Amino acid sequence: MKLSLEVNRLATGLLIAFSVVTITAAYWAVVGPDTITQRQDNPRLVEQEGQIHRGDIQDRNGTTLVTSIENSDRSVSRHYLFPEMNSALGYASLRYGVSGAESAFNSILRGDDLGKDFFDQLAGSLLHRAQRGSDIRVTLDLDIQKTAVDAFGNFHGSAVVIEVPSGAILAMVSLPTFDPNTLDADWEDLTRADGNPFFNRALQGGYQPGGVLQTPLLAAALLADYPIDNKLANVAEPVQIDKLTLRCLETPLNTSLSLAQSYAFGCPFPFENLILNLGSNRIQQAFKTFRFSEPPTLPGYVILPADETNQTTITPTSDASDYLANALGQGRITVTPLEMAVFTAAILNDGNAPTPYTLFQIHRSDRGQWIDAIPSNTTIPLMTASVSHQVRDLMKIALATGAVQAMQRSELDNVGGHIAVAYTGDSTQVWFIGFAGLQSNSGVAMALVLESTDGTDQVAEIGESILATAISKVK
Amino acid sequence: MLRKSNSTIQYNLSDQYLGEKILLIISGSFIGINFLALNLQRNDMTISAWSHFGIWILCSWFGNWLLNRFLPKRDHFLFPIVMFLTGWGLILIDRLAPIFAERQSVWVTISVGAMLLVAMFPHTLRWLRQYRYILLLVGLLLLVGTIFLGTNPSGSESAPQLWLGFGIVFFQPSEALKIILVAFLASYLAEQYPIMRTEMPGISRTRLMFSPRVFGPILLMWGLCVLILVWQRDLGTAILFFGVFILLLYVASGSNLILISGLLLVIAAGLVAYRAFPVVQLRMDIWLNPWPEADGRAFQIVQSLLAFGSGGIFGSGVGQGSPTYIPVVHSDFVFSALSEEWGLLGIVAVVACIVVLVSRGLQIAVRQQQRPFMAFLGVGLSVLLALQSFMIMAGVLKIIPLTGVTLPYLSYGGSSLLASFVIVGLLLRLSAVEKLS
Repeated sequence: MKLSLEVNRLATGLLIAFSVVTITAAYWAVVGPDTITQRQDNPRLVEQEGQIHRGDIQDRNGTTLVTSIENSDRSVSRHYLFPEMNSALGYASLRYGVSGAESAFNSILRGDDLGKDFFDQLAGSLLHRAQRGSDIRVTLDLDIQKTAVDAFGNFHGSAVVIEVPSGAILAMVSLPTFDPNTLDADWEDLTRADGNPFFNRALQGGYQPGGVLQTPLLAAALLADYPIDNKLANVAEPVQIDKLTLRCLETPLNTSLSLAQSYAFGCPFPFENLILNLGSNRIQQAFKTFRFSEPPTLPGYVILPADETNQTTITPTSDASDYLANALGQGRITVTPLEMAVFTAAILNDGNAPTPYTLFQIHRSDRGQWIDAIPSNTTIPLMTASVSHQVRDLMKIALATGAVQAMQRSELDNVGGHIAVAYTGDSTQVWFIGFAGLQSNSGVAMALVLESTDGTDQVAEIGESILATAISKVK
Repeated sequence: MLRKSNSTIQYNLSDQYLGEKILLIISGSFIGINFLALNLQRNDMTISAWSHFGIWILCSWFGNWLLNRFLPKRDHFLFPIVMFLTGWGLILIDRLAPIFAERQSVWVTISVGAMLLVAMFPHTLRWLRQYRYILLLVGLLLLVGTIFLGTNPSGSESAPQLWLGFGIVFFQPSEALKIILVAFLASYLAEQYPIMRTEMPGISRTRLMFSPRVFGPILLMWGLCVLILVWQRDLGTAILFFGVFILLLYVASGSNLILISGLLLVIAAGLVAYRAFPVVQLRMDIWLNPWPEADGRAFQIVQSLLAFGSGGIFGSGVGQGSPTYIPVVHSDFVFSALSEEWGLLGIVAVVACIVVLVSRGLQIAVRQQQRPFMAFLGVGLSVLLALQSFMIMAGVLKIIPLTGVTLPYLSYGGSSLLASFVIVGLLLRLSAVEKLS
């Protein structure tokens, strides 16, 4: 019997079959990493992402706020250690992505920005070292943030505290907020929760400014050499805008006051007078100079585009009351707490608005020391130094003699501020902008807004406690 | 002269013993290093973590020792290769489904024991031929038994009921039947092949091939396979049986027509099955285009391809990949898991081992050309291993539709491992039979 020929053919056929298997496997092995494995439904991508050891986040004093802990299955969990910091730091979730500081400094925290040489990459790949990101130190101060969150209590709203003249954000509060430690479990509830906890009010909250625009209007008057010390009769007279009646925050005993004096009482009538006398072009020009048309940004953070939310044009339309409403902060103009905090900082800083920032230092996982990451200190002139000094003085007077009794008890020196009410539909917000100076042009500036209240005393108390803590921390 | 010749034989034998020992030591080193890596990764260096490797060493050493003692003139490649693959399989199962690793170790011990029995028992081949009808009957009865008493070790009612359960032990009769069938066919063809090869004056070869005497059994076999497919929904076994039969018939007859008609019958059965059976339709559909249903019905095959892509050339390393995303990875998709953690290099190594194993089997068959039964048995067993390996390898790579067969020596499954070791036992026995001049 001779079987060699058939067996040889059979062997050749089998060899070809196994060659096809090997070639196909080689095709997927070579082409796969750049094609098929990049599919969004590849669970390995999520797993790989979950093994990235994100860097820690520390506050400006070196207190660890967020850390990463490796689990037994090699996945890494993110732990947020202080609930008061939640709204400022955001979240990092495998399922829902990143937000806040976690998003702003994502590439640094993940280690994507670290340039690695060939041998480092090879060693990392061969030894299956998980990607490790850099630690960062942010400008936020845990104590100030804690004070602010505690002071808010159950109020919804926002506060931003800026160091002057550096522009470092010392606190950034947005309430209500969420717990990033339980985000995945809470997500569905949070998306339906009242007050939209995911909305960062400090940066994205386009609030009705209301009386808080009186300070920029005052600065606009000074820039235009408008006589702010001329007495006006009956400054407590209400101002009617459509169905809304605007009144002084507190009616002064003597109603014959100048614009400068009535500022402390938050009376709208003198400002209506100012708006009508100055005219829309000059006010519009002043607001442009104050950069309300280009609100400040915080590098990396999501801030809604100005042209969609921050309506800053006050040019009169055919309806005169519309122009007046806008200029008095009861029209279509909206401002963010960050915007008002930067404006207040400019008043303390001789009229120059500091550029706000939150990244302080970076610590690479493979290097020993912290490296400064502070941006170059650029300021934007909003007003002359003399105008800013005059406004600063009026803000000091406003706290010392004005509508807000709570701030008069303050033990703070060199502190100024202004409280205002804004109306949105049936709801009322109360604003506080203020500063506490150290010497010359240094200190802290802040903006604070409480939602669904007209409690000026409460906003003053919260503002005072935040300013007191902030100034003691930057001394 | 005679003395000189004896010393040459002794020298060659001791050389082969040494070669086999070296292959086993290399295999042991590879398996040991991988177990070390796996245990380090698990941070478990207890004795129990090494138990599977210990069992492998004992089986290898004892098997080698017994074979050297009782079957010295055997093929010295077969045993190290299957032990290498089996050891690798143990690592894979320990890594993918640790709860099954202990059971697999027990099956390795039983299988090696069965292989040694088959290889060393002097009457194995004679009994296999002599009692072929009884064996076939028993095999078929067991298979029919699964139709009425069949179960699935997972306990799932919807899964194919291909096993017979004896307490905690499950046995798949089709695994035994495939060896019996090869032995039966070898015996049948050993008797029939002279007619198939005869040139008869006045009768064309084609006509002879399609005579009831030759073509009848083909149809019978095809019918048996269709029955398995219909009753048991076991597409893999049906194709495997039929494929081995056709290839064996081709070797016996030397006729290309057999291959063509066999292929046409497979296609015809496939088309009918596609219309008739949802499971076949599903497998065909996801084979043709799995991507739209990557998260649904095609999840398994898509995850398998992702495993090949993720492994790349060097693999992620044992315990470092994520092959467990593939459902039933330790059984049907062990080849995909291997590709993810050992990469293309691992794939090439496994394919090379299978190719060497099959080619040694075919060589053994060719050596026994003068003994038709042994020759056909050798070819049949080799083709069985080759076809089964190809079907699952090509299936998980989406070259052909997926068929639920195991990858010999590597996949989890006691019956499959036992059958695969018995095949090697038979090949070892065949290799030890003196060649007729």
